[in-house]
Amino acid sequence: MARVIEYIYRDSIIHQLNPLSKLAWALGVMVLALTFNDPYYLLALLISVGLVGLTGRVMKDLSGVMKGLSIFALILVLLQVVFYHGAYREAVTLGIAMGLRMMTVVLSFLVFLSTTQYKDIILVLTEKMKLPYDYVFMFMTSLRFVPTFLNEAIQVGYAQQVRGCPIDSGNPWRKMKAYIAVALPLVLISLKKAERLAIAMETRGYGSNNRTYYKEPIISTLDYFVIFLVVVLIIGAIILRCKGLGVLH
Amino acid sequence: MNPVIKIDGLSFGYEFGDSVLKDIYLEISPGEMVALVGQNGAGKTTLVKHLIGLLRPPAGKVRVADLDVANTRVSKLSRQVGYVFQNPDHQIFHDTVQAEVAFGLNNLGLPREEVEPRVTAALSDVGLEHLANENPQRLSRGQRQRVALASVLALRTPVIVLDEPTTGQDYQERKQIMALVEQLNKAGHTIVFITHDMSLVAHYASRVVVLCQGQIILDGDTREVFRQTDKLAESLLLPPQVTVLANQLNEPLNTSVSPVILSVDEMQEYLQRVREVKRNGAGD
Repeated sequence: MARVIEYIYRDSIIHQLNPLSKLAWALGVMVLALTFNDPYYLLALLISVGLVGLTGRVMKDLSGVMKGLSIFALILVLLQVVFYHGAYREAVTLGIAMGLRMMTVVLSFLVFLSTTQYKDIILVLTEKMKLPYDYVFMFMTSLRFVPTFLNEAIQVGYAQQVRGCPIDSGNPWRKMKAYIAVALPLVLISLKKAERLAIAMETRGYGSNNRTYYKEPIISTLDYFVIFLVVVLIIGAIILRCKGLGVLH
Repeated sequence: MNPVIKIDGLSFGYEFGDSVLKDIYLEISPGEMVALVGQNGAGKTTLVKHLIGLLRPPAGKVRVADLDVANTRVSKLSRQVGYVFQNPDHQIFHDTVQAEVAFGLNNLGLPREEVEPRVTAALSDVGLEHLANENPQRLSRGQRQRVALASVLALRTPVIVLDEPTTGQDYQERKQIMALVEQLNKAGHTIVFITHDMSLVAHYASRVVVLCQGQIILDGDTREVFRQTDKLAESLLLPPQVTVLANQLNEPLNTSVSPVILSVDEMQEYLQRVREVKRNGAGD
């Protein structure tokens, strides 16, 4: 789990794209996924996202997550079948649509995050989108610490288990109580980490003046093309939807 | 005597990546004091995690105190094996040192009459009895390390595993911790400790196991292991300077019979003996 949203270096055209165009693509995919509810349309969308992932050569690294997601999707289908008031066939179709939609959106963001370095995302958001650096930095840093945090949680779990803490207990109530012993050290560690990070940043001059950047984000012709394509697809999708295509009644 | 730890052909690899342990065979008898050494990434921590079920070995591969680690809960194994981690902050969360040390004992369900004396004893063992009511977060890193140590010692397990117990300690504290470990060993506990400090190994371990890229390349009596400087060099390990010096002085002589020197005192004694032999020889 700890590796899920880490940047994975590969030599691919997707990696070279500007973060902005990848972000536009991921948001575009989300809009498309929400526009349609016909499983065939959604399946086509999922396949297209998968193809982008393949081009980025990160699908193998994401296969584990995809397996987990498909199980989750299956549960969604089952839930629909059990709780939907209506025909069985309808329930199944709706469930499949929901599952596909969820997988598509999650996969597109995973592809975006695993092919883009955090610092590049920060860079375009502040430089091109003119968002305030402090907030972007805060947000991106908290994302960056998620894998560290998960890893830390495992270590803390270990350290408490060896002192007989029953987090491997079969009894859910005891288990829940035992997890307090994991949560508290985690909070303490995170606070300490945050403090250290703040000190490390300040001692290196954070906030002292206007920042300059080592790398200039380049928006290439390809990026303009990708963004143009995303816009066209979204407009196209809305037109289709208005004409009643890709939507089940 | 039956071994208290028996590892029978254990191999292991993490989910993403190469194998970390390759075909490990290791038997440790009750009452041994074993140093586990090797470069970072050699697999030391991975190996000892299998002793308490934090990593699950395949069935039958690792037995500790007659339990098959593969299908025993960690919380049950924790009655047999104490494990001191590298980073004390992974476990400390109570607001007094005392409560922190009592945590494990309470988990084992011991009555209060037994918990209190054990906590006091463990704290005085690590020299922190005067800080019993202090908040652990206010202590220094070295002191927190000793709180963590005390919290495991209080469990009084037959086997104690220490993963770099002396990190962040000054010379005095290091000696204190290792003297304590030695004392526990003399009281019958089986000790396995990981360290990078060869002088600690020379001073305290009766047996050394050298891991190199997931394999045991040396395993034996401390003196025998430190004799094999070439093999140690493969792992970029260097015995204490005095041992190296003695080995080098011995080289022109008959190395196979001359002793391996582990401390300055031993060296002094040895040189004195050589001088006496020489003097006697000259007198003839």
